[in-house]
Parts: sequence; C-alpha cells; structure tokens
Amino acid sequence: MQETILLPLIILLPLLGFAVLGLWGKRMQEPTPGIVASALVLGSFVLGVVLLAQGGARWGLEDWLPGIPLSFALDNLSGLMVMIVAGIGFLIHVYAIGYMHGDAGFSRFFSYFNLFIAAMLVLVLGDSLPVVFVGWEGVGLASYLLIGFWYADRVNGDSARKAFIVNRIGDLGFLLGMGVLWANFGTLSISELREAIAPEGELAVGLNNAALALAAFLLFVGAIGKSAQVPLMVWLPDAMAGPTPVSALIHAATMVTAGVYLLCRNSFLYFDLPDVSFWIVLIGMITAVYGALCAFGQTDIKRIVAYSTLSQLGFMFVAAGVGAYWVAMFHVMTHAFFKALLFMSSGSVIHALGGEQDVRKMGGMWNYLPQTRIHGLVGALALGGLPLLSGFWSKDAILAYSYEYSPVVWFVMLLVAAMTALYSMRWFVLVFLGKYRGHEHPHESPSVMTWPNHVLTLGSLFAGFVGLPYVIQYKNFLEPWLNKVIVHHEHEKLPVLEEWTLILVSAAVAVGALYYGYRFFQAEAAGRLPAWFVRFQEASLRSFYADDVYNALIVKPLKSVAKILFDADNGVLTGFQWLGSVTGTLGGLLARLETGYLRFYAAGLLVAAVLLILVGVIR
Amino acid sequence: MNYDALMHVGLFLPLLAGIALLIWPSLGRTFAVAAAGVTFLLAAWLFAGAQGEGAGYASQTLLLEPIQMYYALGLDGVGLMLWLAVSFTTLLAVYIAQVPIRMLGWALLMETGLLGIFAAADLVLFYVFFEATLIPALLMLGLYGGRERLKAAYTFALFTLVGSLPMLAAVFAVRYLGGAPSFLHADLAANPVSGAAATWVFLGFLVAFAVKTPLFPLHAWLPSFHAENHPSGLADAMGTLYKVGLFAFFKWAIPLAPEGFAQFQGLLLLLAAFGAIYAAWLAFAARDWKRLLAYGGVSHMGLGALGLFSGHADGVTGALFLLAASMVYTGGLFLVVGRIAERTETLEIGPVRGIAKSAPALSVLTMFLVMAMIGLPGLSGFPGEFMALLGAWKASPWLTFVAFTAVIAAAAYALTAYQALFQESPNRTVPDLTPREWVFGVAVVASTLLVGLYPKMFTELIHPVSEALAKLLGGGA
Repeated sequence: MQETILLPLIILLPLLGFAVLGLWGKRMQEPTPGIVASALVLGSFVLGVVLLAQGGARWGLEDWLPGIPLSFALDNLSGLMVMIVAGIGFLIHVYAIGYMHGDAGFSRFFSYFNLFIAAMLVLVLGDSLPVVFVGWEGVGLASYLLIGFWYADRVNGDSARKAFIVNRIGDLGFLLGMGVLWANFGTLSISELREAIAPEGELAVGLNNAALALAAFLLFVGAIGKSAQVPLMVWLPDAMAGPTPVSALIHAATMVTAGVYLLCRNSFLYFDLPDVSFWIVLIGMITAVYGALCAFGQTDIKRIVAYSTLSQLGFMFVAAGVGAYWVAMFHVMTHAFFKALLFMSSGSVIHALGGEQDVRKMGGMWNYLPQTRIHGLVGALALGGLPLLSGFWSKDAILAYSYEYSPVVWFVMLLVAAMTALYSMRWFVLVFLGKYRGHEHPHESPSVMTWPNHVLTLGSLFAGFVGLPYVIQYKNFLEPWLNKVIVHHEHEKLPVLEEWTLILVSAAVAVGALYYGYRFFQAEAAGRLPAWFVRFQEASLRSFYADDVYNALIVKPLKSVAKILFDADNGVLTGFQWLGSVTGTLGGLLARLETGYLRFYAAGLLVAAVLLILVGVIR
Repeated sequence: MNYDALMHVGLFLPLLAGIALLIWPSLGRTFAVAAAGVTFLLAAWLFAGAQGEGAGYASQTLLLEPIQMYYALGLDGVGLMLWLAVSFTTLLAVYIAQVPIRMLGWALLMETGLLGIFAAADLVLFYVFFEATLIPALLMLGLYGGRERLKAAYTFALFTLVGSLPMLAAVFAVRYLGGAPSFLHADLAANPVSGAAATWVFLGFLVAFAVKTPLFPLHAWLPSFHAENHPSGLADAMGTLYKVGLFAFFKWAIPLAPEGFAQFQGLLLLLAAFGAIYAAWLAFAARDWKRLLAYGGVSHMGLGALGLFSGHADGVTGALFLLAASMVYTGGLFLVVGRIAERTETLEIGPVRGIAKSAPALSVLTMFLVMAMIGLPGLSGFPGEFMALLGAWKASPWLTFVAFTAVIAAAAYALTAYQALFQESPNRTVPDLTPREWVFGVAVVASTLLVGLYPKMFTELIHPVSEALAKLLGGGA
C-alpha cells in the first residue's frame, strides 16, 4: 500500500464541486452544473480504480485531535464501496441532469449531490472511527438537505427533519461506542484497533469482553439508525419526499448501506462475539419481514421500493450477523445496481406521467415506455431473485450461510425472499401491465435518463457472476478478494448435495412466487382482491401503525414535558428572585447605610468572614 | 520582537478605544471596528508567535507591595485560543450589529475585561477583571435592553453578586490558608489548600463560576438576560463571551483546591449531565430565538462541563475547545438572529415563514451556524463535544449517556426552529445579505470550517495544559 496524497483527492474532487456549485452554480446555464458535478464524480471513480489497481493506498495526518489521526485507507473493502459510490453515483448524477431539468434549484441540487458523494467517500475511506463519523454525519446532512430539497412544502421539511433526528439517535450509539473503545484501547484508528483486538485474525487474549461487546453493540446501534433497521426504520419511507435520484443514490444504493459497511469494516469486533451477532441477525430478520409486509400495501410507487430497501437491508444485516461479511458486501453491490435501477425506472415513470406517483393511476406503461419497461422488468426480476440475475446469487448466498447458522433463520429469510418476489411483481404489474388508469400523455424519457439505466440493467443482469457459489465450478472472484481484508472465521462449506438443494429450493421459491405474484396482482389492478387481503393492505399502507405508536408513546410526551419544563424553569427563576429579595432585606438590615446592590456585598462579606473564622477555628 | 508588549497593548486597546467612543461617539463605527480589528490581529500575532507545545507569554509587575499583589499576565495555549475567540467574536459583533454608537463603546470596554479574565495570572487581578466585566454587561442591558430590562438586569446582578462574595472570601482564603507568598497563579498552585479548607475554598469559587458557566440550576438568569437584551445581538454575543465559568474552574478553582474539587466532583458531574439534557429539552419549547439559543448554550456548556469535571485530559481539552468554539458560533448565531429580527421585526419563532425563498444566502449562513451548534463533524462544534465525550466516558459512562442525549435534542430544537423560519410556504419576503453581511458571513463560516476541519491548530497547544491538570488530579490521559 502506498502513501499518497492522491487518496484524499478522491474526496476533494466532489467537495470542490459542492463549493463551486454552491457559490457560483446559479450563474451557470443548465445543464453545466450537472455536467461539472458528474465529471467530478467520474474523476473520483477513475482515481479510485487506478489507486486500487496499484494495490490500494493510504494517507494520514497525525494528531488531528489529540491521539486521533485523520487517516484514510483504500483497500479491497473500501475500494468496492468507492466503486459503488462513485460509479453508480456517477450514473445517477447523469440521470439527474435529465430528471431535474427545468427545476429552479438545478445547481443547488447538484451542489448537494456532490456534497453527498464527498461525505460518503469520507465515510468509506476513513481509517479512523472519528473520520468515518465525519462522513457518517456528512451524509446525514446531505440526506437532510436533499429530502427537504423542495422545502416550500411543509411535509418535505418535516420528513427531512425526521430523518436527521432519528439518525441522530443512532449516531449517539456510534459516539458512545467510540467512547468505549477509546477508554479501553486508547486509540480510535481502525487498523490499530484491529491489531489490538484481532491480530492474525484471531481474538487477542486477555481482552475485556464485556467492554468489547458494549462497543460492538453501540456501534451496531449507529448502524441501525443509518440503515433504517427496526426500531429506527421510520425515517426511510418518509425520505422519499426527496427527488427520485436522491432516493436512488442515497436511500437505496449507498448511504443506507453504510451501516452494513460499518459492521464489515469493524468485523474484528463482531466476528467472535456471538451474542452481539445474534442481535444483528435478529434485528435484520425482523426488519426484513417488516419491510416486506409493508411493501404490499403501499400505493406510492417510490414507497413500495423504499420498503423493499428496508427489507433488503435486513438481508444484509442477517448476512453480517451470521458472519458472512463478504456476502453482506456482495448483496450491497448487487442491491446497488437493481435498486438504483428500480428507483430510476420509477423516476422515468413519474417523469412520463408529469409527477404522478400513485400506482393506482398508472398501469399499461408497457405500451408507452419501450425502454423503461425493460429497465423496470429487469429491476423487478433481479429484486425478486429470478435465477441467474444478480439479486438471485447474493440472496442465495445469504440463505446458504443462514442455513448454516440456523435452519430457522434460513426458513424465515426464505419466506421473506418469497414475499420479495411477490411484491416486486406487484410493483411491476401495477405500473406496467394492464390498462393505463390515468389521464396523462406518457412519453419516454430523454436518453440522458435512459442510458444510465441501460448500464444499471446490465449490472442487474450480470453483477452476480462475480460471487458464484462454490458448487458451480467457476471462480468466485469476490469472496477471496474481500476476505483478504475482512476479519472473519473460515466457515466450513456445506456438502455439495445440500448446497445444490438450497440453491434449487430458493430458485424454485423465487420462480414460483414471481409467477404467482404476476397472476395475483393483476387482480389488484382490476380491484378484485380478496377481502382479507384488502384489510391487510390497509394496515400495511400505514406501516402497521409504527408512526402512530411512536408519536403517541414518544414524540408527544417528549413535547409536552418540554412545555412543562419550560414553564417550570421560570419557576426556578422566580424562586431565586424570592431568595434574592429575602437576602436583600437581610442585607438591608445588616447594613442600613448601604444602598443598591452594595448591600449584597456587605451581607456576603460578613457571611464570608464568619465562614473564614469558622474554618480557621475548626482547623 | 517583544511579544509581551503586544499582550499589554492587546489587553488595553479596546478599553481606551471604548472610552474614546463613549466620549466622542462621532468617531463612529469604523473606529470601533478598527480597534476591535487591531485587537484581533494582535491576538492572532501572539497566537502565531507561540512556538512549541504549551508555550506562551508571561509578564509581571508588583502592584501592591503590602499584600504582594501583582499586575501579572500570562497566556498559555488555552489563553491564546480564548483570546482569539473573544477578539474575533467581538470584531464580528461590532462590525455587524446595528446599535447606537455608544453601545459599541461598552462592548469594547467589556472586551478588555474578558481578555483580562483569560490573561490574568494573579488571582486578585483575575477577580478584578471578572467583576469589572459585569459593569458594561449590566449597562448594556439596562440602557439598551427591552421592556423588562430592569428586571432582567436585577436578576443578572443578583446571581452574579451573590456568587462573587463567597468567591472574594475564597480568594483570600486560598492564599492565606494555603500559605502562598503572593496571589500569583504559580505561587497559589504550588501551595494548594487542603483538608476542610479546600472544600470551603472550592465551594466559594463554585457558586461564582457556576453562575458564569452557567451550570444548572444557576443558569436561571440567562434566558431573561438574552431575551431582554438589545435585539441586535451585540450584547448577547458579548454576554456569550462572558460565560467564562468553565475556564475559571479550569484555571483557578480546580488547581488551587484539587482536594475540594474531589469532594464536589460527583455532584458537579451530575449537575453538568442533568443540565445538558434539561436545557436541551427546554429549548424545544422555546418560542423565541434568543431563549432557544440561551438554552442551547446552557446545554452545550453542560456537555463541556461534563468533560472538564471528568478530570481526564481529553475531557478538559474538549471542554476548553468547546468553550472557545461556542463563543464564536453562538455569538455568530445571536448576531445573525439580530440581522433577521431587523428584517422581520420579531424574534418569535413561528409568525414568519419561508424566508429562504427570498434570502437564500442568509438561510445558508444560518444553516452553517446551526449545524456548528448541533455539533456536525467538520464544523467547529464537533471536536470539543467529541473530546468532552471521550473524557467523560472514562469518568462516568451513564452520565455521559444521559448528557449526550442532548445531541439528539439539539438536532430537534435547532432544526425545528430553522424549518419554521426559513422553510415552508413563504408569508414574507425579506432582503438577502447585504455586502457587509456577506463579509461577516464569509468570516464566520470560514472560521467554523477551519476550526472544525483542522482542530489540531488549537488542540496541540491546549492538550499539554490539559494533561498537566489531569496529572494533578491523578487521572491519566
């Protein structure tokens, strides 16, 4: 690994874009800000790939804070993330040139977008936890700014604020986790912690396991917030208030996977802590189920995809929890392709329908949008796990590792996989099939929007082939490449027969569910669903009342107490003033000749003198 | 180059300029800005001249022979950082605030008092500066404040004076019970009081410094102080600089009576943690900007206090860093709020909405400062908060957890207020930044970025000092 100043340059390019577009973007003609922003992100991508090809890089500044370096490291793990963030980020930037066309805030949008990329790159490249945290909060800020991009609508501002505040709950976990590590190891550099905790890939002897577990758990709380896991999941669906490219980039492909990345980056904390890992599996499972259930009832085209993101993030957490860190990253990668594709196809549909987002007023797009229909189909099938597509391979790997961990986990996740296939077909059927149920004049998007989707379509089709299961006699590129830098336990491979059985079962379930979903949801388009399912959808649409419960149990009480305390605080003041007037009167009695505030001096001096004498006597 | 001379000039220049301005207000704002500017440059020059770790300046002249009281000044890394923060914020304040010219004079007088507090190396001298600064602060409130200004001034004076008297007793007690040959900091620190006397001495300092931190429950004067001060924010910014309690604990109370501090450490940690979350919670219910910022300030000083009282070097560094950073960003916010109030004729949160539409640059400026206050990494609020947390965790994980829930609350109260004023559908149009405000904005934003991105600039100077204190208290790094 080379020491090079080029490494921070990867971050500085988009940061420069943020500053320049923020200050002077308004004077530029559309689409110049978009082109500048996209070019800078492409620059980061190229630079990242070149440095990675040279075997990685590092750069640091000692004692940025006392004992804490400002350090960055590009290795295989962060390199994969750089490629996803800058690569897919670039495609989404290009798409946004078309999507944001004519918006009054065109340059502001790209300024924020570049800020996001810069912060995300800090997050993935940081080799010191506080540096990671800088990026962690930076993406939170960018997310806040972009969710509330159209801030004139109150609901957008509310959603943005909610996202920021809920994320801060997780961030507190991150902060306290750093506190534990600092108190126990005296360093927050990731590579030094790794040396201290798991040298040679084995847990060091004589560690304080309770402290380790606490640190691991607190960092996990941070991951829960950022990756919208239960119970901090409520912000992500509302985050769809932002423009669609934002949902694609931040709330699907990159930022929300930061929690998964954090677990993998710090796997040396987790790999030998079965208790904490169990919680990761559990939270992941609950989120996967919850997200899938919520996806069935949504009527907003983007919220369906948003809940599917929740659910897929749950898959990634399960992978990290069972110790299959490379698989978690594998799913991060394939998911980035097909989820970005799904969002941007949704964006193209919204664009085609003049801003319409309600799937009940869609349908029949197959006949109007000759390119987007392919994008949507591939995206839905990859999400649904059609065999040979990218989503199938990564999901299958998660299922296989879950089976080793516990057949119960495997079974639950298999059910979720089936639900995934069902709701992805629901999305596709309601949007593209049947008759058009609205009154717009749908038109295909310009090529600046379709070309990025072509690339993502290719990725969704083929990206899975870098991580094939071992029973297929073809090289798995990803596993050894990532495992070189991730601390993990070697796992025993399943017998060939069992592995094949698992693959075939998951393939059969996916195909069956996709087909069944395709049939079943044509009935929804026609309004002929069974009554029980309609009732289920009503609850699902309201996310099983999570927001209502949180509002009633947490938000409202906190607000009321704030009001009560605020008034009570004036009471404190009144109390002191009363005390003051008593003292004042006393002072007046003691020193009649004094006027004004001097009386306090006199009284105090007397009291002090008495005290002094007392102290002297006692001594 | 005789840097010590610069120190004396820097200290008294604002005083002389302030008096001149009070006598001849026709000298005008430019004169005030020039004086504050030169003072800032002197502070920067001194800062730049400080080489190596913890190095600084010292100078002493015997003033009152019978009691061995010196005119003694000393600036180590901590003092230099605070000099920069005070002189920079004062410069910003006199540059931007729209106030009667004489008020600028009072602000300059106050600046000398503040610089003196941070430079004094003799306890009596420190006491003089600590108390004298009250006069211009009270006068600004009394002369230029709002409708309830006299009540607020009364409250402020009451809290301060009640705190000052035990402190005066402590000033004498610490020397004569400790047996130091003079009031010099070095002599006093070499002869700390011990036993029951230490407890009483520390208690004497405690009330005065807690009022000025401000530490719960002695914060109660602050909201009305800010709410009633001149809407321009000048007096509020100067008042923010006057929140020197953390520094005073650090420089005087703790090293002079470490045993006394040990007696109160648990209670102080508890008050700091409780105050942090209590004030943050209240801030959410605040209905005007000044009260919101007042409570926000109390909350953040609680976090700093938790770091300081932890007794660990990280926490102490964090507290001092946070103190200096918050002087600039809180002061800056008060001034920005003043500029907004001039446009909208109200400080209330709610009646005016959506002004980002007509004043985008103003909204960006406010967002920057609000984010600094929330403690966003990369801006000046973060390094101090973070180091305070690292130190505090070593002292008490539970209290750290309780106190730092305030960072969640900070996002809630600050962004809620921000949204109400700048976002949603506009019901007013206001003018965007004027050229003068642009200069102000660029300066304050640049400073929050510089300090947030390169904290090393200050931490390498203050950390050795913090380590010395931690060593005195028997704590490690």
